[in-house]
Amino acid sequence: MMLLSCGLIAVIALFLLIFVVGAYNSLVSLRNRYKNAYSQIDVQLKRRYDLIPNLVETAKAYLAHERGTLEAVIAARNAAATANTRAAQNPGDASAMKELSSAESALGGVMGRLFALAEAYPDLKANTTMLSLMEELTSTENKVSFARQAYNDSVMAYNTRREVFPTNLIAGPFNFGPAELFVIEKPEQKEAPKVSF
Amino acid sequence: MDFFERQDKARRHTTLLVVYFVVAVALLIGAVYFVVALIFGGIELKNATEETTVSWSHAKMFLATTAGTLGIISAGSFFKTLSLARGGRAVAELLDGRLVNPNSTDAHERKLLNVVEEMAIASGVPVPQVYVMDGEAGINAFAAGHSASDAAISVTRGAMTMLNRDELQGVIAHEFSHLLNGDMKLNLRLMGLIFGILCLTVIGRILVRARGKNAWPFLLLGLALIIIGWVGVLFGRLIQAAVSRQREFLADASAVQFTRNPSGLAGALKKIGGISEGSALQSHRAEEVSHFFFANGLKSELFGFATHPPLIERIRALDPSFDGNFPRVVLPDAPAETPPPPLPGVSPLVQPPPPPPSHAQPPPPPLPTAKPPPLPIVRPPPLPVAPETVAQQTIIADIGQPRTAHLQYAVDLHQAVSPSIQTAAHDPLGAHALVCAFLLAADAAAREKQLEELGRATSEAVRQETTRIWPAVQGIPPHARIPLVDLALPALRRLSPSQFEQFRGAVNALIVSDKETDLFEFMLQKIVMRHLDTRFYPERRPVTQFYDLHPLARDAGILLSATAYAGADDPTQARAAFAQGAESLGRIARAEIPWLPPSECDLTHLDAALDRFAQSVSQIKKNVLTACAETVAFDNVIQPREAELLRAIADALDCPIPPFVQA
Repeated sequence: MMLLSCGLIAVIALFLLIFVVGAYNSLVSLRNRYKNAYSQIDVQLKRRYDLIPNLVETAKAYLAHERGTLEAVIAARNAAATANTRAAQNPGDASAMKELSSAESALGGVMGRLFALAEAYPDLKANTTMLSLMEELTSTENKVSFARQAYNDSVMAYNTRREVFPTNLIAGPFNFGPAELFVIEKPEQKEAPKVSF
Repeated sequence: MDFFERQDKARRHTTLLVVYFVVAVALLIGAVYFVVALIFGGIELKNATEETTVSWSHAKMFLATTAGTLGIISAGSFFKTLSLARGGRAVAELLDGRLVNPNSTDAHERKLLNVVEEMAIASGVPVPQVYVMDGEAGINAFAAGHSASDAAISVTRGAMTMLNRDELQGVIAHEFSHLLNGDMKLNLRLMGLIFGILCLTVIGRILVRARGKNAWPFLLLGLALIIIGWVGVLFGRLIQAAVSRQREFLADASAVQFTRNPSGLAGALKKIGGISEGSALQSHRAEEVSHFFFANGLKSELFGFATHPPLIERIRALDPSFDGNFPRVVLPDAPAETPPPPLPGVSPLVQPPPPPPSHAQPPPPPLPTAKPPPLPIVRPPPLPVAPETVAQQTIIADIGQPRTAHLQYAVDLHQAVSPSIQTAAHDPLGAHALVCAFLLAADAAAREKQLEELGRATSEAVRQETTRIWPAVQGIPPHARIPLVDLALPALRRLSPSQFEQFRGAVNALIVSDKETDLFEFMLQKIVMRHLDTRFYPERRPVTQFYDLHPLARDAGILLSATAYAGADDPTQARAAFAQGAESLGRIARAEIPWLPPSECDLTHLDAALDRFAQSVSQIKKNVLTACAETVAFDNVIQPREAELLRAIADALDCPIPPFVQA
């Protein structure tokens, strides 16, 4: 009898252990997945931050009177680049992701203003470098949004797993904190472009 | 020895392994019973009044220990095997590997990715996931997975930074030969089984903690279990080493046959000998996977437990003049790999990313002040040409056995594909768009309709990207399409599950809406979906079910009829081509295989038939592939298009055919 109970305890203990290891591993794997998903965003954001100065450089010749907007673009681009460096070091960290979200939203806003402005300058619009840069930027923008969707999906999967029973019993003691989504508010389309004569 | 024989041999090794393992487990059960009888037998004997009770209780005890030990081992093995079901990446992540971004711009990572991509194209398999173990300074690497579609190749940081391109190519070629020889599956199984034995030790550790008045027998049992468990693991390691050692020489030999550059591989091995870290890994998990590695992964190895032949012996096999003195390792200069070419119309990237700053708030990267330099016009070399016709007898012999010519083809192709396509293939959205663009109709009105549908099935971003990429995709000849799809797979594996569902829906919509669905388009999407399914639905792995052609006769009919229709214009010629193919399967089989009208061998039927053949033993696969080759060779010429169709069919059966090259 004693032997049986002994065996029973051992088997139960083994199953418990297997459960703990399994739950832990699944959390690690999901965490890796969203971190990897972030690296995909990171690549495209960097590409975008490299393209924007080129764009500004090209536009400068035509938009001599719009220094304010151009400087705002560069400032917003720098702020976003800094925020991204921080976020890339620790993807999912709440404060870093929030900072990046707001910096990216701001950058989206000023870029929208720049594009609206460019509409008023037919020469600029016809410039081939400008055209290919805009095209490239749109494509990169699409890639960012696609990668962002993948990142948010994997963050959701991770957050759900760490909150549901019984994995939540593991998440606390082993320090699996919640991860933050990467949301970008749509830039205000209504904002009228500033036109100066 | 061809591909199919090597696969069979790997399978026989697995059987042998299981036999060894069963013997080891039986010995372990005996040992556990002996200990249990020693400890508890004494107690129960004291309580027993009659002799019959004693013997009865011993029989019961034996049953209980057997059931208990078996239960623990199988539960452990089952659990481990389950957690390895995700394929190669499960092993790579276990060792803290970091997934390398397919569109990485880091020079070292780019070099590694390019070498792996070239090897994959040359072998005709999808590009595996590439991982780097950042914490490991030694030189080592491994390949893991169940099949080519869920394979992961993982290298240490030392291997990535210290080896030059030729040496790295040697190492990767060695890993690819494991991948193509069916060794990886064997390795995974071994890992699962040994883990089960390890669980005995774990139980022992739990029992040792037992407290209480009558706890001493448990303490003793726990102690005994720990010892028995370790002895068992020792057995396991012996098996592991025995299976692994002999396959390493084979892999070295295949790697040299592949790259025809023994000095690359020998150089890598010499560097291992020349650095203080050698090939040892820091990770405490290394022991569990030591049989996967390129070179010994453990710090010290006793004779008999070495998973790899001695370094000097391996080097001498490649370079007989080696004197046994390892040269001092000089770090190679900055890697010579060219950065990804700039996109047309865009000036080259402004600045390389600044080195990671040590303080918390780095200043933003400086802005360019000078005007961007004028764009150099770089014309990519022309795409390598596919041969006019393909010799039929080389097709089957080449399966899973790429040669130097194939590698050269891969290098040429890699350089010739336009930068915009390459960038697209390395990015999830771009790769998504690339595959969709392959399925677009040539006719403008039909294409417009398809794009509209694509936008509905997915998102505006996908539609825009597909439209953007289409002009560049249009000119890609058929023989370059399968390699490009293989190239795009790592990026597609990074889709999130919901994005993958959309992708699947979009691809199906494109195929259906295209009225003139052709066989090649269908095979292309079949390749993509088959390789991605192992990523998104690891539980749907095919299991070998057919050992005989008989139950597959109708499927063979579907496959051969469809191939015959694709290759011939008029029905009588198709019928004759079919007959020639079916003839090669033998007289008896010939009578059973039906010739089918087009409506009964359409794409839905073909799809199901291929899935069933994928679940058959390698001999059947070989025969049916030979029959397909006979069918397309009926008119004595294999057109490039027919050849690509054959490659696609072979891929669906997990028999990678290298690209066809000029003889």
